[in-house]
Amino acid sequence: MKFEKKRASTKQDIPTASLPDIIFMLLLFFMVTTTLREVEVLVDFSLPEAEALEKIENKRLISYIWVGKGNKIQINDSIVMLDDVQPVMYGKRQALPNVIVSLRVDKTVDMGLITDIQQELRKAYCLRINYSANIKI
Amino acid sequence: MLKKRKLSEASIPTSSMADIAFLLLIFFLVATVIDVDTGIGLTLPEYIENPETVEVPKDRMAALLINETGDVLLDGQPISLFQIKNTIKPRIQSKIDLPSNKKLIVSLKTDRKTVYNAYVQALDQVKMAFFEVRDEYSNSRFGNDYDDLAVDEQKEIKDAVPIIISIAEPEKVSK
Repeated sequence: MKFEKKRASTKQDIPTASLPDIIFMLLLFFMVTTTLREVEVLVDFSLPEAEALEKIENKRLISYIWVGKGNKIQINDSIVMLDDVQPVMYGKRQALPNVIVSLRVDKTVDMGLITDIQQELRKAYCLRINYSANIKI
Repeated sequence: MLKKRKLSEASIPTSSMADIAFLLLIFFLVATVIDVDTGIGLTLPEYIENPETVEVPKDRMAALLINETGDVLLDGQPISLFQIKNTIKPRIQSKIDLPSNKKLIVSLKTDRKTVYNAYVQALDQVKMAFFEVRDEYSNSRFGNDYDDLAVDEQKEIKDAVPIIISIAEPEKVSK
């Protein structure tokens, strides 16, 4: 007796004509969501952990201040002194009136420095701030 | 005389299109940073040269003081950092029905030598207390969590439970 495999008579290859379209869709998604990192972080910091976190909806409004170990303050691309915080941030506020200042501060920094920075921010009228923190698991 | 016609169809080869798209895709996959910025939001008060001091009744204030070793005082009573939320919550709840000028103010004060982490933990506890009260109140009013409410409903909850956190004015250090 002869065995014959049952085979459908239809073609058996996967249609690949729409593959580029699918890939382009993915591509577009990633292109839209990508925000290229513009600045290089020069200070060494590890964020504190917290639970009652809020997301900042509008990324374009954010301006960062990094404070790393050894009380180094970084704004934009450079390490600045405390006295420079006010003029720099005032300029930023003029360019973007409702700027949100995200403070990315190392866990071990003293509050004295943070209070000083906050005072400078108040003088520069950058009143919306955000203490950056990671989610506590 | 007949013109010789080319028989081959003029077409752009599209078989490599997928590869090109893949390359681009991989580039953006690698370059994407999906770290949503999360943190604890706060609005600072405006800077005034010589601030007027306004007396606030004792029962309206919850004064938190964190010293340099991370010990917490709430209205003069030492408590642990993780008790802050549960201690403040009933005090916020008791003021839900009061007018807006009688709501609880949480004042947070630190030493210059306090570690930033302790400050954030305390602020986190306070925020959590406010958020939980908001959620519970909105559940009793509208049967939904605060985040799922419509904008005008959210506003109503916001008015009932405003988050008032005062970062104490730093004491002037005489140099």
